[in-house]
Amino acid sequence: MAKGVYTTRSKELVRRETASAYMFLLPSLVFFIGFVIIPMIICIYTSFFDSTMGKDAKDVFIGFGNYIELFQDGIFLKALKNTFVIVIVSVPVVCIFSLWISSVIYNLNDKVLSVFRCIFYLPVVTGSVAVTVVWKWMYNNYYGIFNYIGKGTGILKTNINWLGDERFALACIILILLTTSVGQPIVLYVSALGNVDNSLVEAAQVDGANELQLFWKIKWPQIMPTTLYILVITTINSFQCFALIQLLTSGGPNHSTDTVMYYIYYMAFKMFRYGYGNAMGVVLAIFIAVLSAIQFRVAKER
Amino acid sequence: MKTSNTLKKLYTVVSIIILIALAFCFVFPLYWIVTGAFKTPVSINSPVPDWIPKELVLDNFKKLFSRQAAPIFELGFIKGPMAPAAVRWMINTVFMAVMAMVLTCLTASMAGYALAKKRFHGRIILFTLIVCAMALPKQVILIPLIREMSALKLYNTIWAVILPTVGWPFGVFLMKQFSEGIPTEMLEAARIDGASEFKTFTDIVFQMVKPGVGALAIFTFINSWNDYFMQLIMLSSTSNLTISLGIAKLQAENSTDFGLIMAGATLAAAPILIVFIALQKYFTKGITLGAVKG
Amino acid sequence: MKKLLLTGLTLTAAGMLAACGGGKAADQTSAAADSKADTKQEGASEAAGDAAEVSLWTYPVGKWGDSATVDGIIKKFNEKYPNIKVTVEYLDYQNGDDQINTAIEGKQAPDIVLEGPERLVANWGAKGLMVDLKDMFEKDAASDIYDPVKTACKSPTGEFYEYPAFMVAHCMAVNKTMFEKADALKYLDLDTHTWTTDNFLKAVQAVYDSGQQNVGAIYCVSQGGDQGTRALVNNLYSGTFTDKDHTKYTVDSEENKKALQAIVDQAGLNFDPSIAGGDEITLFRNGTLAMSLCWNASQQTNSDNGPAGKTNAGDEIIPMLFPSDDGVTELCGGIWGYGIFDNGDAGKIEAAKTFIDFVCNDEAQVKESVKASGFFPVRPSVTGVYEGTETADAMKLFEEKFMPSMGDYYQVTKGWTTARTEWWNMLQRIGAGGDVATEVATFTTNANAAAAQ
Repeated sequence: MAKGVYTTRSKELVRRETASAYMFLLPSLVFFIGFVIIPMIICIYTSFFDSTMGKDAKDVFIGFGNYIELFQDGIFLKALKNTFVIVIVSVPVVCIFSLWISSVIYNLNDKVLSVFRCIFYLPVVTGSVAVTVVWKWMYNNYYGIFNYIGKGTGILKTNINWLGDERFALACIILILLTTSVGQPIVLYVSALGNVDNSLVEAAQVDGANELQLFWKIKWPQIMPTTLYILVITTINSFQCFALIQLLTSGGPNHSTDTVMYYIYYMAFKMFRYGYGNAMGVVLAIFIAVLSAIQFRVAKER
Repeated sequence: MKTSNTLKKLYTVVSIIILIALAFCFVFPLYWIVTGAFKTPVSINSPVPDWIPKELVLDNFKKLFSRQAAPIFELGFIKGPMAPAAVRWMINTVFMAVMAMVLTCLTASMAGYALAKKRFHGRIILFTLIVCAMALPKQVILIPLIREMSALKLYNTIWAVILPTVGWPFGVFLMKQFSEGIPTEMLEAARIDGASEFKTFTDIVFQMVKPGVGALAIFTFINSWNDYFMQLIMLSSTSNLTISLGIAKLQAENSTDFGLIMAGATLAAAPILIVFIALQKYFTKGITLGAVKG
Repeated sequence: MKKLLLTGLTLTAAGMLAACGGGKAADQTSAAADSKADTKQEGASEAAGDAAEVSLWTYPVGKWGDSATVDGIIKKFNEKYPNIKVTVEYLDYQNGDDQINTAIEGKQAPDIVLEGPERLVANWGAKGLMVDLKDMFEKDAASDIYDPVKTACKSPTGEFYEYPAFMVAHCMAVNKTMFEKADALKYLDLDTHTWTTDNFLKAVQAVYDSGQQNVGAIYCVSQGGDQGTRALVNNLYSGTFTDKDHTKYTVDSEENKKALQAIVDQAGLNFDPSIAGGDEITLFRNGTLAMSLCWNASQQTNSDNGPAGKTNAGDEIIPMLFPSDDGVTELCGGIWGYGIFDNGDAGKIEAAKTFIDFVCNDEAQVKESVKASGFFPVRPSVTGVYEGTETADAMKLFEEKFMPSMGDYYQVTKGWTTARTEWWNMLQRIGAGGDVATEVATFTTNANAAAAQ
C-alpha cells in the first residue's frame, strides 16, 4: 500500500511531507528517544560489562558473560516463568471476567449501572500501596479474612498461610492484580456493548437467533476493537506488576513470586550488579518486543 | 420458547446475585481503609476483625499531619509556608499526574497524526520501534534512567518521574490508531484551501481525535498516579515525595502503624475518588468513545 | 454529546490545574534552583570554611525518625554553629537502603547517614564511598568508647567509617499471662531473665499444649528483624554465625544444624515466610503470638499505642535473653552511629564532622541524643541518660541484665548483604520442608562465595 502512495507522488512532495511529518513528531521523539531509546541503548551496552557501584569500581568487558550466567541462574529462569504466568493468566481472565460483568450490567437502569461501574473501578483509584496493605491483612496467616471465612464456613480445616505458601503465593498476587485491573475494561465494555448497532440485533432476533448466537454473530464482531485495546492495556499492566511484589512478598517464599522486574531491581540495588541487571532487562525486552509484535500482527489481520 | 425465557431470567437473577457478592469484595478494601483511618490502635490491630468500629477517632490524621512538615510550594528561593508534608505530597502527585497527562496528550496526538496520515522516510522503522517498546516495563531501563536523570540534574525532582512517562510510546500508538479514522479527503480539502499544516492539525485533526485524547488522558493520569515504581527510585526528599510513596514510607521497621497508613491512604484516595464519581459520565464516555472507534 | 464530553474533560483538566497551581510553578523552577543552590553553596563553603549546608538522612531509630525531636536537636546545634545548615530526610527500613543506593547512583548521596556498621562500614564503606573518620576517634571524647564498639566501626583495612552514637542488645520477649496460664513461667529465671535451651523448648511445648497454637514465629519474608532469628539459632546450642575473625560464615556447624532442627521439630514454633520482624511485633502485641524474637529496650518502653511493657490486651511483657545451652547468651547488638559520604567537598565534610561531634560529644547534648534513640550510650562516661524519666526502671533493667550479654558484632563480615538475603531465603526453604543440612550447606556456599570476592 505504501508503495502505491510513493509512486503517485513526486519526490518533492515526499520530501516536503517528510519534513512536516518530523515537525509533528519532534516533541514526542524528544521524549521517546531521550527517555526510552537512549537508556535502552545504554542498557544493551552495559549488559556486556561487569559493572558495579563503588568509588574505584571499573566496568570490565566480559562479552556475553552476563547472558551465559543468566541462563544458568535458576532464580532468573523461575522469575521469567513467573512473569509469563502472571501475564498469561491475568490477561485472558481480565478480559473474560470484565466482558461477563459488562454483559450483565450494561442494560440495567442508568443509576444501578453507574453504581456498579463505580464499584469495580474503586481498586484502580485507591492506589496500589493502600490496596496492598489491606490485602496483606486479608491474607494474614493468623486472623486474615480468608482464613476467617474459610474456617467459619468449614471449607478450611486449618489456617493457610496464603502469602507464605509456595503453592498459593503467586495466585494470591495474581488475584490482587485482577481486582486492580478489571475497572478500566469494564468501563470500556459497557459502552462498547451499549453502542452495538440495535437494528442488526433486532434483525437477528426476527430471524430467530438465540442469545448465544446473537452475542457471537452480532455483538462480538462489533466489540472486537475494544477487546483488542483491552488486550493491549492489560498486557502492559500485567508486565508492570511490581509494587505488589515489592510490598508483599519480596519475591518469596522460595522465589515463587519473583518476577524479572523485581529481580532486576533486586540485582541492581541490593547486589549492585548493574551489568547483570541490564542483561536481564535486555532479555526481557526482547521477549516483550516479540510478544508485542505478534499481538499487533494478529490484531492487524483481524 | 418459554423454557428459554425462564432460563434467561434465571441466568439474569443468578448473575446479579453473583455480581452483588463481587461488588462487596470490591468495596471492602476501600471500606476497610476508610474505617481503619478512624480506628483506635487497639481496634485496628485486633485479631478479631472490628467490622463496624464503635469508636471513631481522628488521632491517625493528627499524627499524619504532625509527623513531618514541608513548605507547601517552592519557587526558586521563595518557599511557601510550612504545611504538613502529606499536603505537599498530594500537591506533588496531582501536579505530576496532570503534567504527565497534558504533555503526553499533546505530543502523542501530534505524533500519532503524523504516523497515520503522512508518508515519510523512516516511518516503518519508527512504528516498529514504538510497537516493540510499548509494553516495556520501566525496570528494564532503570539503571541508565537514574544515571541520565542525575546527569540532567533532574534526579529527585518530580520531573524525573514525569519525563519518562511522557516518553513512553503507548500514547503515540493509540493516537495513531485514532488518526487513521480521519478521512484523507478532509485533509486534502484543507490543503487546497490553503490552511497551514498547524492549522489543519488544530482545526481538523485534533477535533476529530478528541475522544481518543480523552481516553489517553484518563489512562495516563491513572497510570502515573499509580506508578509507584518510578516514584520510588527517582524521589527521595520529603518535599518531593508523592502520596503513595509517602504512605509506603510510613511503614517503620519494628511497628507498622496501620492506622497511620490507612489515614494516608484515605487522604490519597479521596480526591481522585471524588473526581471520578462527580465526573463519571464524562470519564467513562472519554474512555469509551475512543476505544470503540479505534 | 461531543460538546458535553469536551466540557467535561476541560473541566477536569482545568480543575486539576487550578488545584495544583502553586505546586506547579514551584516545581518547574525547583530543579534549576536546586542545582544553582548547589553550586553556590559549594563555592561559599570553600571560601568561608565553616559555612555550609549538609544533609542528614536518618533511619527511624527511636525518635530519630520524628521531625519534632530531630528539629529540636538541630536547633540546639545551630545555636552553637549558626553557619551550618542541616537539612534532614527521614528514611524507612522498607525502602531506605534502596533510596540511598539510588541516590548514590543519582549522584545525590546525603552527607551524613545515621545507621549501623553493617551498612556504613561493610557496605558503603567497603565500596569506598565513605569518609575515614579516624581523626574523630583521636579526640578525647572518643577515648573511652567501648573497644568492641570501636572494632565494629572499623573496616578490615583499618579505616573508621562510623562514629558510634548509641547501641542496644536485641533480645526476645514473652507474654507473661499466656505463660502463666500454661504454667510455663517455672521454666524462666525471672531474676536474671535467662533460660536454658531445655527449659525454653519445654516452655514452648507447655504454651502450645495450653491451646496456643502459635507460640513463636520464625519470620522470614525479608531481612527485617533478622537479628532475632539469627540470635535464636546461634544461641540454642552455642553456634556462631561467622568465625572469630569475620572471614567466613559458619552457619553449617553442627551446633547450628542441631538448633535449626530443634526449631523445626518443636511444635508451636512456626516458620512464617509472609511476615517480617515488624509484623511479628504487631502479632505479639495483639496477642496472636506468645513470644517475640524481635525485641529490645526501645520496644519495651514504647508507649505509642498503649501503656509501655503491656500488650494491647494489657498482658505484661517480660523481656528475656535468648535461651542458651551453656548459660552464656550472646545477644546480637545494634550499634548506631554516623557516617559521612564522600561527596568531594571538603567544606561539607568538615561541617558534617562538626555536627557529629556536637551530637555525640557535646556535654550538654550527648544525653539528649542517646535518649532520642531509646538506646544506650557507647561509652561509660555518659551516665544517667534516663534518670528521672518514666522509663528509668525499664532502661535500668536492660542496662544491667541485657547489655552485658552483648555478643560479637559479626555483621561487618564481607559479603554481609548476600549473607543476609541468603539467610531469609534459607529459612523459607527449611520452613517449606527443606532438609536442614542441605539448606544450611547452600547458605554457606553462597554466603562464603560472596565473602571471598
